[in-house]
Amino acid sequence: MKLYCLSGHPTLPCNVLKFKSTTIMLDCGLDTTSVLNFLPLPLVHSPRLSKLPGWVSKDGTINLEKELKDCAGRVFVDSQPEFCLPERELLDLSTIDVILISNYHCMMALPYITEHTGFTGTVYATEPTLQIGRLLMEEVVNFMERVPKAQSATCWKNKEIQRMLPGPLKDAVDVWTWKRCYSMQEVNSALSKVQLVGYSQKVELFGAVQVSPLSSGYSLGSSNWIIQSHHEKVSYVSGSSLLTTHPQPMDQSSLKNSDVLILTGLTQMPTANPDGMLGEFCSNLAMTIRAGGNVLVPCYSSGVIYDLLECLYQFIESASLGTTPFYFISPVANSSLEFSQIFAEWLCHNKQTKVYLPEPPFPHAELIQTNKLKHYPSIHGDFSSEFRQPCVVFTGHPSLRFGDVVHFMELWGKSSLNTIIFTEPDFSYLDALAPYQPLAMKCVYCPIDTRLNFHQVSKLLKEVQPLHVVCPEQYTQPPLTQSHRSDLMLELQPPPMPYRRCSVLNLPFRRRYERVYILPELANSLVPSEIKPGVSVATVSAVVHSKDNKHTLQSVPKPPPVAPSKKRKRVMDEPPVVMTPKPLLSGAVPLEAFLATLQKHGITEVKVEETADGHILHLQAEDTLIQLEEDGTHIVCDNNEPLRTTLRDLVLRFLQKL
Amino acid sequence: MDRECVSLLPRVCEVLAASGSSLPDDTSLEKLLDWFTEVTKAGTSLLESCPCLLEFISSVVRNTTLDPSILSFTLRLTGLVAVTEDAFTVLQQSSVLDLVFNLQHWQEAGLWEDPCIRIGWIQGLRTMMQHPKALGFFVQADFLKPLLQLQTDKSLFVASAANQMLAHVLLSCQSVSSVESNGVDEEGEDVGRSSGSIADLEYPAITVETNQDYAAVVTAISECLKKSLVPRKNSQLHQSLQILKLLALLLAQTRAPLWEKLLQMVADSVDELLAAGYSQLVLPLMDVILAAHSSCDANRRVTDQRVSRLLSFMLNIRKPADLIQAAAAFLRRGRHDLVHTAQSARVLLLPLDIITGLNLLTTTADEQQFSMVEQLKNKTSCISMICVCLTNTPQITLTAADCLPCPPVLIVTAVLSLLRLCSGDFSSSSSSSSSCRDVSRNIIGSSKVQKCALEALIALSGSPGVEVKLPEVVTLLVQYLDNPHSDPTVLHKSYQALVRWMSVCSDLSSITDQHRQDLLQVATKRSCDIRWEVRDSTVEFLGRLAGVSVVQTTAEEVSDASVALLGGCCFTTPLLRAALQDPESYVRASAISALAQTLAASWQQGAALTQEHTEIVNQLLEVLSRDTEGFARRAVVRYFIAWLSSRSSHSSPPPLASSSLLMPSVRSVLSRGSADLDWEVKVHTLELAELLLHEAFSGQRGYMKGNPTQTHPYAVIPDTLHTRTHNEEDVVGELNSLVQWGVVSVLLSGLVDCDRPVALRACRLLMTLREVVCPLSLGALDATAAMAMVAKVTCELPGCGWAREIRKMLATKAKDAERGCSVGEVVDCDDCGEAGQEAASVGGQTPCVSVCEVLRSLDLDERLDVLTRSSDHVHNSPFSLLQDILTASSAHSQPDTQQEVIVDCY
Repeated sequence: MKLYCLSGHPTLPCNVLKFKSTTIMLDCGLDTTSVLNFLPLPLVHSPRLSKLPGWVSKDGTINLEKELKDCAGRVFVDSQPEFCLPERELLDLSTIDVILISNYHCMMALPYITEHTGFTGTVYATEPTLQIGRLLMEEVVNFMERVPKAQSATCWKNKEIQRMLPGPLKDAVDVWTWKRCYSMQEVNSALSKVQLVGYSQKVELFGAVQVSPLSSGYSLGSSNWIIQSHHEKVSYVSGSSLLTTHPQPMDQSSLKNSDVLILTGLTQMPTANPDGMLGEFCSNLAMTIRAGGNVLVPCYSSGVIYDLLECLYQFIESASLGTTPFYFISPVANSSLEFSQIFAEWLCHNKQTKVYLPEPPFPHAELIQTNKLKHYPSIHGDFSSEFRQPCVVFTGHPSLRFGDVVHFMELWGKSSLNTIIFTEPDFSYLDALAPYQPLAMKCVYCPIDTRLNFHQVSKLLKEVQPLHVVCPEQYTQPPLTQSHRSDLMLELQPPPMPYRRCSVLNLPFRRRYERVYILPELANSLVPSEIKPGVSVATVSAVVHSKDNKHTLQSVPKPPPVAPSKKRKRVMDEPPVVMTPKPLLSGAVPLEAFLATLQKHGITEVKVEETADGHILHLQAEDTLIQLEEDGTHIVCDNNEPLRTTLRDLVLRFLQKL
Repeated sequence: MDRECVSLLPRVCEVLAASGSSLPDDTSLEKLLDWFTEVTKAGTSLLESCPCLLEFISSVVRNTTLDPSILSFTLRLTGLVAVTEDAFTVLQQSSVLDLVFNLQHWQEAGLWEDPCIRIGWIQGLRTMMQHPKALGFFVQADFLKPLLQLQTDKSLFVASAANQMLAHVLLSCQSVSSVESNGVDEEGEDVGRSSGSIADLEYPAITVETNQDYAAVVTAISECLKKSLVPRKNSQLHQSLQILKLLALLLAQTRAPLWEKLLQMVADSVDELLAAGYSQLVLPLMDVILAAHSSCDANRRVTDQRVSRLLSFMLNIRKPADLIQAAAAFLRRGRHDLVHTAQSARVLLLPLDIITGLNLLTTTADEQQFSMVEQLKNKTSCISMICVCLTNTPQITLTAADCLPCPPVLIVTAVLSLLRLCSGDFSSSSSSSSSCRDVSRNIIGSSKVQKCALEALIALSGSPGVEVKLPEVVTLLVQYLDNPHSDPTVLHKSYQALVRWMSVCSDLSSITDQHRQDLLQVATKRSCDIRWEVRDSTVEFLGRLAGVSVVQTTAEEVSDASVALLGGCCFTTPLLRAALQDPESYVRASAISALAQTLAASWQQGAALTQEHTEIVNQLLEVLSRDTEGFARRAVVRYFIAWLSSRSSHSSPPPLASSSLLMPSVRSVLSRGSADLDWEVKVHTLELAELLLHEAFSGQRGYMKGNPTQTHPYAVIPDTLHTRTHNEEDVVGELNSLVQWGVVSVLLSGLVDCDRPVALRACRLLMTLREVVCPLSLGALDATAAMAMVAKVTCELPGCGWAREIRKMLATKAKDAERGCSVGEVVDCDDCGEAGQEAASVGGQTPCVSVCEVLRSLDLDERLDVLTRSSDHVHNSPFSLLQDILTASSAHSQPDTQQEVIVDCY
């Protein structure tokens, strides 16, 4: 069993498991932090961004004026933002049989894997994962295609040149693998390969293994996966949460008794408790609005935003924000808000019950009805005519490099009355803000990451007790910035197996058993004999028939009657010679009785010697040795075949034959 | 004793002796016993006033078929009856006593199994044992043995009662012996040590034989203590625990010879118990040793060697958790022993030393350090031990400087460092070893430790030399306030700590602008917090800060901390005004009182009225009339009380500006507050009215602030009250304005209020008013003559609600009195009878009455008398109890009468 690790990002995993002749890809997360090296894509012409000076090395030898721009003391690539893809050289992607997706954040690289690689397999995901994943992809494509850039910067990626660039561009890794965003057509094609599954549904893969998704409690339709054969069980835990937010609670008990547990997607903010962050979010929001400023919340169009809206729904009255407008701007805003209301079966119990009342499960429906929350596909159109300040705007993309958020940064950045509140944990907020400096706007960082923290995960592992744990290497040591916090790492016995990008791990367990079926007629023909109470044994002679990883014992075909055919000249394989197998022996030779028997047969001079495993009988007259041991009997008798045969028969008398 | 009760008692006794099952409820017997105890305490002999009791006791005690609760009651009653020597003799002569306390009697009847009989037996004996005769009876009957057995009774109540009884017996024996030996060699020993009731009793001379008997009792008890102190097996720990409790009780109360003897007897056993090292027994053992230790001086003048040795042993126990407990117990109780105090302080500082790595203790035994570190690695015990240490740190700093292993300022540093570790900040931690880091991670995010540490920080604020830490403390507290993961209670404590340090370190010159800015930011943020508790604490903090006066910078200008830290009203007032809209009523109420505290300074200085001020007042009046919750409305009334009293406390005449707003608003507060549904709002409104009364009449003859009935009739009235001479014109003017402000109406409406506290207060205030404007002592005619002008002051009595009640009262009074005499003189309203009332109402005119007349006619004194008694005084009397018992029994005997007896709660 092998694990190929194609991504080094612990929360955007992409691993391939080879298990019993199947090749299974576990998630295909897309590392988008690479976009932070690019200039923002403004929706409206920005004089500031269009007049940035180009970058020339100090000695003037390298001139990349066209490709790189100096902005706020840092160098950015002036090109369509690019993403860092999972490793594609480690293994032939066309050999992948299936891809299992655990949540919509972990499927953003799907078109890169399934398109143009010869991939012919199937992708398995739950319905909300597919639908919301499609929305997120659509949104990114839309953000990119709305503001196309003519040229693509490539010169800076030259190894020799990159070495000379100022940081952080200099330190960016695998820049040659960075790719531009996919097109909508590729998205549609990739998603057409998805087959929907429900929680606990069992999917057979070639008869060899069975996979089944379990609720992971992190987002709508998010799942952990169980991959098991008859005798082995591998659990894949990715992005799970024990908090009671909107999704169905996590199914923990099904993870029990795993041989291997692959653990990814723990919280990226182990020291930030989501409740505290939510409180922080609300109080900063209220504070800004009361002071007459606007609040900008860069966020994804699905996920935590539902919880934020729900929390604000309760908070609005208490903070007397009743008249403040809330805007949600995204090309998929409408679909996201509406989809969330229809996935009732994927919601937590208390939201599910609302559906039967009938009431919309999420309170944002009411916010929309009462006109407190308004959503628009973009800043163009209706929004511009209805826009009222002070207000709260939720919009993407959280990297601040593309999407409508860029516009608001340009618009509100200059006033210290306004506040930007970061809630998505995926990007460093300082890096995200870098091209907008100097910034007068207040900035609040309250990342809300509901995924498991180290405390919860150690409790979980104590409960489900896997034999081996595999995890990204980041989880096996404290974070770099807090090296003394030994509570922020996984401490397990035996220690977990760490992986990094491009690792190939031999998983430390051997397959020892395989299930074999026996046909009824063959079973009928068996004659079991009891060798000790409760244990019966029978010998089987059969032919193993293997098909679709299913092994069956069939009766040995009778030798076909001699074919009268004379037409066929080809020499046929001799039918297997069916020999009656020698009987199997069991039992032990009792020493006293054996000696008595020997005496009866005239062998009297026997010297008995006790050994560690049994006895050695020295027949002095015959110069013969009989070794009686627990698991074997040896008769050492040179050149006296009749004696050997006699002795053998005497020994056999005491043994049971099958 | 009440004659009515005495007459009922024989029948009650009959009922009880006949059958116990028909009692009105199971507390009646207790109530009855309470009553008897009260009577006895008042000095009445039960047997003399109720001779029927003797017959009752002797008949009940022979009837073992009765309900055990009745029998238990009788046992206890017997003890109570025999509390005087005379009654005891009577009981003994009638041989009742022997039978009542005869164990065999109860055992043969099979009743001893019932714990209520056992406890009745113990308590009866215990009550009786107030005189030597009783003690003699106890000794001769050889009750000691069963009593010792009962000490480990399976019923906890019985065991504990037996324990108390044993202590009582021993102390009684001691008193008897010491009385005998007194004057010989222990003269003056008793001074100041007469604890317990027994020592107060006077004993006649005791014969030598009996004295020997007592000695035997003492020996028997101490033998038993010695024997059963050390548990033979783990299941006997409970017994040891009981003995230890008893021992602690005894060692604290006994005197020299007995104390010595006791200590000598049990010393070895205590040693053995210590060596066994039972963690559960650490605290009780410590209690015993400390009891011995603190009575050492009184008994021996020098600390007994043995006690000192035991103490040293306790403070060197191997188990760290036990050690910490012992040290904490010592520090709480015995402060006068310098050596052990220093040792305890070291023990308690050790965990802090280990976690913070701050070298609080210069040297520590490696072994002790090692075992402590090992224990601290366990999360649960780490947190509990640290909390014990933190809780006791203030005690440590209270000890003499030469006992302290380090200066208090270092302890403050340690607490601050601990608080940083709690929030996961290891940057300042100087401990580098991995084991220390293992320990530190146990407390990350523990709000329990945070709370204890903040409390310690509050308590440490007053220690000498810690002021230098102020900037560091403020920085840390602001960080805590800013931390999104701080628990609401932790935030609350942080605010408290901040206020406390501000008030102690009045010199704020070390506070930087950055501090101020951060605090400003954090207070604004927290006032918008999602949790109402946090918003409440924040608002409260803003108010408290305004009440702390500090010296700012070098200019030596005194201002309040709110001004010094937050820039005063211009920052806090808008926040507080926003909080007036809070959905949570507690926050609104806190905001209102914080506003009062913030504005107090400007009121006192008589600052000019601002637009904002007017708006606030309007907002508050709105709250008073609209708010659905009582808390906020009460706070509004208190706001005006504060305003009014701060204004009147000001020496110079109030500037017009402030007053022009205050008085009209007080008028509306009075009218709205007195019509409120919440009785507390009404009481506060009356307080406001009282302030106005005080302002109007302070210095007038007859005016006494507070409750007139509470002053003693012969008390000397302070001279200040006579400074202003009586001037009728003044009185008329003030009374007129009181009527105009609505004070009189408020008082009258309060008088007829259905809530007793309201009516009571109003009644007292009306009496005060009456004393000033028309004292009853002058007599009706004199009064009218002397105060013709005052009598003309009238107030309105509209035709609704409270006024109707008042008018009814006046009409009743008028009917009672001779027709046309008293109330007929109502001005503008010829008759206050029904007809007149209706005529007035129909006519749409509001009738007016003379204030004086009303005050004189309302029978305020009688009303006060009624109001002072609690509402259930009738039903709670012993007479009612006896009647209940009788009624219940008659209902029981005639079950066909379906009448249900309703019994009052006790």
